[in-house]
Amino acid sequence: MVVFKKYFFLFLSLFALACTQKGGVRVMPIDDFFKSQNRIGYRVSPDARNLSYLKLEGKNQNLYVEDIETGKGKKITQLKEKSIIFYFWVSKDELIYYKETDPALRLSDIFIINKDGKNERQLTNNEKSRIKVLDDQLMDDKYLLVSSNKRDSTVFDVYRLNVRNGEMQMAAKNPGNITDWTTDSEGKLRLATSSDGVNETLLYRESENDAFKPIVTNNFKNTLRPIAFAKNKLNVIYAISNVNRDKGALVELDCKTGKEIKVLFGDETINITDAQYSRRKQKMSFVVYETWKKEKHYLDDSVKLIYNNLDKLLPKTETRIIDRDKAETVFIVRTFTDRNPGSYYLYFSETGKIRKLSDFNSAINEDEMCEMKPVSYVSRDGMKIEGYLTLPLKMKAENLPVVVLPHDGPVARDIWGYNPEVQFLANRGYAVFQVNYRGSTGYGKAFMAAGFKEWGCKIQHDINDGVKWLISKKIADPKRIGIYGTGFGGYIALNGLYSENKTYACGASNSAVINLFTYLKSIPPFLKPKLQMYYEVIGNPLTDVDKMRQSSPLFQVDRIEKPLFIAQNTKDPNINAGETIQFVKNLQKRNISVTYLENDGDPFYSKNDEGRQKLYTALESFLEVNLKKK
Amino acid sequence: MSSEKKSGYRKNFPLILTFIILMLVLFMLSLLLAYRFSTKYIENQFVSEKVNVLEQSIRPYNDFFQKKLPEVSYYNGYLDSATASNFVDTVLLEYPFVSKVIFYDSEVKNTPVTDGLNIGKFSFGPKSIYQFGSLVPMDSVKLFSSDNTRNFIAGDDFNALALKLVSYIESLDTTRLPSQDELFSNFSNVRSNKITYLNIPRIEDLKMYKTMMRKSLNPQPIYQQDMLSFQLDPYKIKIINSRPLLYQYIKIEPLTYDPLETSSLYVTTEITLPGPFSDFKLYFISSKSFIDKEILSYFLPIALGVLLFYSILVLVAFLIYRNLNINQKMFKLQYDFMNNLTHEFKTPVSVIKIAGNNIKSASSLTERELKLYGKILDEEADKLNGLMNKLLAFTQIENKAIQLNSEKININDFIESTVESHRLKHPDFDFTFDVNGFKTFVTDPVLLGSLFDNLAENAYKYSPQERKRLHISARLIKGRVVFRFADQGIGIPSSEINNIFKKFFRIQNQYNQNGSVGLGLAFCKELVNFMSGEITVKSKVDKGTEFKIVLPYND
Repeated sequence: MVVFKKYFFLFLSLFALACTQKGGVRVMPIDDFFKSQNRIGYRVSPDARNLSYLKLEGKNQNLYVEDIETGKGKKITQLKEKSIIFYFWVSKDELIYYKETDPALRLSDIFIINKDGKNERQLTNNEKSRIKVLDDQLMDDKYLLVSSNKRDSTVFDVYRLNVRNGEMQMAAKNPGNITDWTTDSEGKLRLATSSDGVNETLLYRESENDAFKPIVTNNFKNTLRPIAFAKNKLNVIYAISNVNRDKGALVELDCKTGKEIKVLFGDETINITDAQYSRRKQKMSFVVYETWKKEKHYLDDSVKLIYNNLDKLLPKTETRIIDRDKAETVFIVRTFTDRNPGSYYLYFSETGKIRKLSDFNSAINEDEMCEMKPVSYVSRDGMKIEGYLTLPLKMKAENLPVVVLPHDGPVARDIWGYNPEVQFLANRGYAVFQVNYRGSTGYGKAFMAAGFKEWGCKIQHDINDGVKWLISKKIADPKRIGIYGTGFGGYIALNGLYSENKTYACGASNSAVINLFTYLKSIPPFLKPKLQMYYEVIGNPLTDVDKMRQSSPLFQVDRIEKPLFIAQNTKDPNINAGETIQFVKNLQKRNISVTYLENDGDPFYSKNDEGRQKLYTALESFLEVNLKKK
Repeated sequence: MSSEKKSGYRKNFPLILTFIILMLVLFMLSLLLAYRFSTKYIENQFVSEKVNVLEQSIRPYNDFFQKKLPEVSYYNGYLDSATASNFVDTVLLEYPFVSKVIFYDSEVKNTPVTDGLNIGKFSFGPKSIYQFGSLVPMDSVKLFSSDNTRNFIAGDDFNALALKLVSYIESLDTTRLPSQDELFSNFSNVRSNKITYLNIPRIEDLKMYKTMMRKSLNPQPIYQQDMLSFQLDPYKIKIINSRPLLYQYIKIEPLTYDPLETSSLYVTTEITLPGPFSDFKLYFISSKSFIDKEILSYFLPIALGVLLFYSILVLVAFLIYRNLNINQKMFKLQYDFMNNLTHEFKTPVSVIKIAGNNIKSASSLTERELKLYGKILDEEADKLNGLMNKLLAFTQIENKAIQLNSEKININDFIESTVESHRLKHPDFDFTFDVNGFKTFVTDPVLLGSLFDNLAENAYKYSPQERKRLHISARLIKGRVVFRFADQGIGIPSSEINNIFKKFFRIQNQYNQNGSVGLGLAFCKELVNFMSGEITVKSKVDKGTEFKIVLPYND
């Protein structure tokens, strides 16, 4: 019996060993990284009495309203699957939600519903057009300002939507190129942005009876984003602008002349990307500027107080206020760090107390996640490139297998925070390297413009230089570096396999752009004004043919030698599935090892757990074979 | 002889003969069959291998069709004359069977076109047409443009494929994804010596085309489409003769080609080319003698194999026969040995028996008689003992069951004593010796003595009465001791000289009618081997024999 016990414990300890990776890190199930909690989309009603959220039960997601004081919740919609893509309170008793009808074309129907689930009405029933709410305040207790392309699929007009009977009245007809509308504090439509693709024009009128007049025109490379109309100052708006400077700043703009009056906050060292305006106080609350993470500069001491109080209550975590009531007494707060997707809290500013609502993903244990460190290096042409490096837990930062994870694009960036893909790869023992290559947003105009038409050239060099930097730091094992990405990230990954051939041992892509010509073709008709811009960012298919062909993996099959992993969803409207199949075929004909994974479920992985599971399982074994076992 | 028959002796000769004849027949038969097979095989190959030739020769075309053609789609309609020209250059270079390419830079729109196709609100027509090819002069590259519309031919490839496109869009089911093959076949047109290909637009665009058939869109969309028409020259296909020894000539000929003059001296076969070349065929022709060569070259290795097989078979049969023969001889030797041995034992035993009987039956024995019988009994017992010792020693030596005793001996004294003992036994034995180069010698005296006794005994035994002489010479040559025993006896016939050291071997002659076992020399050889030496023999019949023993010298 004693002997048996001994063996039993031996067996147990062996079993325990088998379940852990070297260094004692638990291999977490793939799903755990990506799980989103069953309650999301918290909002607070304008009267601060109710709380609403979307709750997932089984496969179905529905809208719930909860009494803040009593904590009693009630399901108010009866929908199948995850079909609510957006919702908000329009009054203290009513909510509006968007029910998706065609995910591929981003079409949806709009419904209004009472907070007790009664009196549900469909406001629109136009399957062919997209509709967008411009202002979530009801005017005269029944009108909602929306923009819709129902008249012409290429332009958005503004309508007054009667939420009582669903009637739509045109508020402003789009002459054909207005892409955005802004309302003043009374909900009056007084500012519009028009675009011819390359140039953006701000149009202004003093009252709704006047005609819009163009006041200032900017190239798309410049940002001039109206935030709000200034209080007590006629014809003055607050805006984020980087006109005549490299980085964004908060400015006051005279709408009569289109001239900048003064810089309220900002200088050439920080890039302001966002600002918060309080409607109740009619005052700017804070501006958001980006360094390696988003940071706030408070312009209102009471706001600063709230955030400082939150920092005290929730230490060592980032906090964001997601929603608030009209009186700004009850706030919904979301926390997060790089190692934790965070939680939702309710904050009562009057009592200074918080109440936890739910965790975003309860499967995540902060101690098992890896730290995402900001890094920077200098590229071969002397440009400072920033990125993030996530090292696997309990492993020496020496000679590690590395997965380079370039972000999607064309104009985007990696941000600091919890990233399930990064944590998944780090948990599997890879160092994950993310690069905000030139052309990424958040680093100023010049940095973004530096990436224009550099696909497959300098953008690729930036990433390869980063890898060289990692090798020189002895962190990366030069023989075990792989590259994986989605969309344009996948494009960079595939390009990496032939641009400077020896860098990567293998490459993986998901829904990758493999042909820049096809990418340009995929810009839908109603985005036609943007085509010119894309020509400038990606390349002009008529004048830059050779360059585009050189930097499109589809044309460069003969130069690829390393093993590949290619995944795509045949229903993804952004890619041409046939082309990818042709690409795989051409590679196979050359006897290149290609792992091809086809998915025909919902192209959005948040709605397709099975597809996501398949993708990451396949990716894991691909990397295992081609990186770890080398 | 009769006793041999009873014991089961069979004559082998007819069996051997039958075996050889059967083997020969089988051998010839297999060769014949092999030749027949080779002929059939090569004839079949001639017919079947053409598929491989076709496959290999047409591979560049398949490559072009499956890999290069879809490349037009990669450009998504963005091809212009310069890019198209570059593209065509690579095609012309890589695929010599493409002779000319016509490029239709065209548009799909809602406004009717004068040249092209208008169906409902849908219009599809070329903006400009270019032709590229190595033989196209520079000034006629551009065939058609908005201000020069003369060269548009209504019945040409453009309209044919445009019609195909329109009917496809008309019947397009927008609710499901069309398969790649379906798209490919609807966007390409394969005709005799010509392939027309239109870039395949995205599914979203196809849906838009379908809408455009029914209504005019606002603003009017213009979609770019590139159509390329490749003119192919089948005669430029590079024939890859994968079996140059099978097919003497391979030609590309029109499908109807069927020459009259193909006489019985030639073998021909043909296979039709696929796709746009289907009006042509590969025509294979070889002369009979050419084919025969191939048959022979196929047959020879098989014949060699058969030959090898039969050689091995015959060799094995021969070896079995030889072994059986040897075994039979061995059996006979052992039989003889038993005979001799019994005989050897029988003589002293019968003498002892007689002496015993005499003593038993005599009432009294005189002093002389007693001495005589005593001597006889003693001598015969010695003989028996000697015989048994010899047999025992031999088996011991053969099985390496005894230890070598090393002792320093004076060679002169040693030979002297041997000579003395033999002279005593045979007073008529002329026994001499000489020693040169050394005096002492380390060896086993018992074994050496045994060796000397055996050889001396043999010399005496196999010498005629008047020539019973033996001379032993002992010399030190190159650090080795060499003993030579030279007699003038009857000698050994050269045919037997290789057998004398074998066990139980005896030469049948008058000298060993009795008293020989055939063990002596075999024993000597075993002894010498045991002492790490060598024994050799030289002999001439009726002149004498000389045994030479070489032993290692260690002083």
